[in-house]
Amino acid sequence: MAALTSTLRLLLLGALALAAFLRSADGAESPTESQVEAVFVFNFSHFVEWPSQTFASPSEPFTIGIFGTDPFGARLDEAVRGEEINGHPLVVRRFSRLVEVHNCQILFIDRSEAASIGQILAALHGRGTLTVSQAAAAAEHGIMIQFTTENSRIRLRINVESARAAGLTISSKLLRPAEIVAVGGKE
Amino acid sequence: MSSSSTPIRRTLMRMIFLSSGAVLAVTTLAFCTYEFLTFRQSSVQQLQILSRAIASNSTASLAFDNPEDAVGVLTAFKADPHIIAAALYDADGKVFATYPQGLAASRFPARPGTGYSFTRAGLTGFQPVAEGSERLGMLFVESDLNAMYARFGLYGLIVLLVSGLSLSLAFLISRKLQYRLLQPILALADTTRAVSERHDYTVRASRTGAYEFDLFTDTFNQMLTQIQRSEGNLHAQLGRLGLLQHITRATGERQDLASIFRVVLGTLEENLPIDFGCFLLHDAAAQSLTVSALGNTGRDFGGRLGLAELLEVPIDQNGLSRCIAGQLVYEPDALQVAFPFPQRLAKAGLRSVVFAPLIVENQVFGILVCARCAENAYSSGECEFLKQLSEHVALASHQGRLYGALQQAYDDLRQSQHTVMQQERLRALGQMASGIAHDINNAISPVSLYTESLLEREPNLSERTRSYLTTIQRAIEDVARTVARMREFYREREAQLTLERVEINRAVRQVVELTRPRWSDLPQQRGLMVDLQTELKDPLPDIMGAEHEIRDALTNLIFNAVDAMPAGGRLSVRTRGTLDANGADRVMIEVSDTGVGMDEDTRRRCLEPFYTTKGERGTGLGLAMVYGMIQRHSAELEIESAAGQGTTVRLSFPAHTSSVVSTDCAARPAMTNRRLRILLVDDDPLLIKSLQDTLQEDGHLITVTAGGQAGIDAFTAAQREDSFDIVITDLGMPHVDGRKVASSVKALSPATPVVLLTGWGQRLIAENDTPSHVDKVLAKPPRLHELRAALAELVS
Repeated sequence: MAALTSTLRLLLLGALALAAFLRSADGAESPTESQVEAVFVFNFSHFVEWPSQTFASPSEPFTIGIFGTDPFGARLDEAVRGEEINGHPLVVRRFSRLVEVHNCQILFIDRSEAASIGQILAALHGRGTLTVSQAAAAAEHGIMIQFTTENSRIRLRINVESARAAGLTISSKLLRPAEIVAVGGKE
Repeated sequence: MSSSSTPIRRTLMRMIFLSSGAVLAVTTLAFCTYEFLTFRQSSVQQLQILSRAIASNSTASLAFDNPEDAVGVLTAFKADPHIIAAALYDADGKVFATYPQGLAASRFPARPGTGYSFTRAGLTGFQPVAEGSERLGMLFVESDLNAMYARFGLYGLIVLLVSGLSLSLAFLISRKLQYRLLQPILALADTTRAVSERHDYTVRASRTGAYEFDLFTDTFNQMLTQIQRSEGNLHAQLGRLGLLQHITRATGERQDLASIFRVVLGTLEENLPIDFGCFLLHDAAAQSLTVSALGNTGRDFGGRLGLAELLEVPIDQNGLSRCIAGQLVYEPDALQVAFPFPQRLAKAGLRSVVFAPLIVENQVFGILVCARCAENAYSSGECEFLKQLSEHVALASHQGRLYGALQQAYDDLRQSQHTVMQQERLRALGQMASGIAHDINNAISPVSLYTESLLEREPNLSERTRSYLTTIQRAIEDVARTVARMREFYREREAQLTLERVEINRAVRQVVELTRPRWSDLPQQRGLMVDLQTELKDPLPDIMGAEHEIRDALTNLIFNAVDAMPAGGRLSVRTRGTLDANGADRVMIEVSDTGVGMDEDTRRRCLEPFYTTKGERGTGLGLAMVYGMIQRHSAELEIESAAGQGTTVRLSFPAHTSSVVSTDCAARPAMTNRRLRILLVDDDPLLIKSLQDTLQEDGHLITVTAGGQAGIDAFTAAQREDSFDIVITDLGMPHVDGRKVASSVKALSPATPVVLLTGWGQRLIAENDTPSHVDKVLAKPPRLHELRAALAELVS
């Protein structure tokens, strides 16, 4: 009886392992990291409040900027197509140079530009632009929201001080599941 | 009466309970419905609020694909124990997180739906999860209904408590109010029941002072008073009606006025009642009222009033005179009436008086007086009653009178019939007596003739012989007269009665002597003793009468007296002179015995012919003959008798006052001295022989023929040579009677006198019926002196 039970347990464990393998092999079906991140960037527009003076006119578009290498490709464009934020049409702009960056409500800084984060942040200071990056320890460097991968899930690390300094209010809902990071080190 | 069983109280209670229960039920139902609906709504709202909050908190988890966080958010449902299941779907409809964690897939829908709805198990809802305009997913929530059930359980408890409390309160309040409301009704109902069950109209409902009920009570009481009064009147009326009927029946059974009055007064005194009652009879001609009857108590008052039966009462100007005019008069207070009769009543203590007239054929023949001691004591109903009563009494007395008259007429008729029958019998008897008389007269004729002849002609008769012969002669005469009277005694008056002076004492002595065998000898044979005493007043005036009739009457009276004393006794015969009312002399004969006497009925009927108390021994003619004699003599008869007290009979004759001498002595005619040839015609040989003997002794030449035809032949034969001077013929003869003989004689020789001798002679004489051709009629038995007188008269 005990032998039979052990055999059954082994068989069950085997089946579970097979299932896990099959699931991980299904990479083509499950969204890629960048895909998820593209949606997340778009979603930030819902959970962050920008100061009222952000827009010069009501028809001014809500701009999501991508600085550096674009990891999302067309996915972000697809995600924002036809979307509006408080009457402002959503547009995606890609920047390769810092000077190009202006009037941008969300700026995604690719990890390829991790080195120039300080520079960028300095340039954006006081402009009310939500900065987002997947570069490691970006939050510690003053990036407001940093993507990080944890147990193959994308988690957020948020530097509330930076956001507050930029005059942005991040919804507490966003803050709750996220990791809050203080400038210069982990909390 | 127990109030708990009163239907109205129960009904009222039931009504109150039903209405308050219904109100309570509707209120409770409305409340519960409202609570149910609002609770549902609020449940939905509550669930919605909770779901919205959770959904709102779940946005980030969904937006940033954080199931762990989502699970954490869903855990907040713990706060509400009724949330039994929840599931979060992502925008693609895939389940993102569940509550509780690891919830079986069967407990939530595979795909999200929309809206909130109640299912059998509970309340389910789908809440969209959105951030701003971004739709991020859907939240499914399911709540059980235990809260609602618990709530409704609580409500049920509250409803029960409230209902119980309100109904108890309603009961207490309604009881209190009902008492106030029902008390007068129940009191009225009690009274009504008392009235209807016991017919007691004296009870009254009491006022309670509640609402309009006093009006009811007063009206009801007034009604009761009226009913009571009506009932009282009705009772009185019925009582009087009964009384009237009673009196009417009682008077109907009576015919005489006195008895009717007595029963009316007696009943009135006892039953109406009255204190005094009397009847006054009105004599219209004399204008007077007579007290006819007094009631029993009336007699007591009558003494005080000075009223007694047969007393006259004057007709007053008021009261009685109005009543006499036919009005019922009611004096409520006799004291106030100034007239004597009411005053007299008032003084006797009778204050209220009713005078009711008794009217028959528009004539007031009497007054009914009813009085009571109290004033104003008669109600109008009683007056009306007395009026009706007086009419009934008047009618009854009228009928009584009519009945009396009818009875009298009937009695008269019966008497007449009786008399006629009696006369018929007597007439038949008389006819028979005539025949007998004729024969007896014939038979005694020789005795009479020979006796008279002997007394007259025989020279050497001893005193004794002469005495005997005289007695024989008197007896014969009595026989002849008796016989002659036999058929006539029933006649009221005999015109031919020859009255002569009669010396009563002599007649009495003769009768006493003649009847001695009857009152002395016969009783002595039976060992009895009748002591006969005579008290004869002397001198006594003579009377005019027929002595033999008087003797017969006395004989009858003595016989009756002796018969009335079967055990012996004393018999008195008295005579005396008396004076009548006009002072004229009368002679009284009194025959008195100490015998059995007569009762009232016998005394009344004793004079009737054929009425006898002696059975077969009596003829019933004795006293009738006495009475006939009395009538013929214009005398008076008085009979005094009572059962066991003996009898006294008095005969009273008018005395003869003139001193005419007796005709007997004066009229004796002289006898003829001539020798006559006499033809005697008779069919009786004894008679003819005696006639022949006596007339031959007178010196006449007698030719005798037997029968009428022989007589005629003899007369015819004699006509040729030696005719007869006179023919004496008998009347009644076979074949050829006396009349025929007489006519034949007259035809041959009209001058020859014919004397007819007849047994019916006296009757012929009485009727002055002398047949034609007859010169003289002589009765049998022929007396010698009469014959001589006739011969002398006819032949001279």
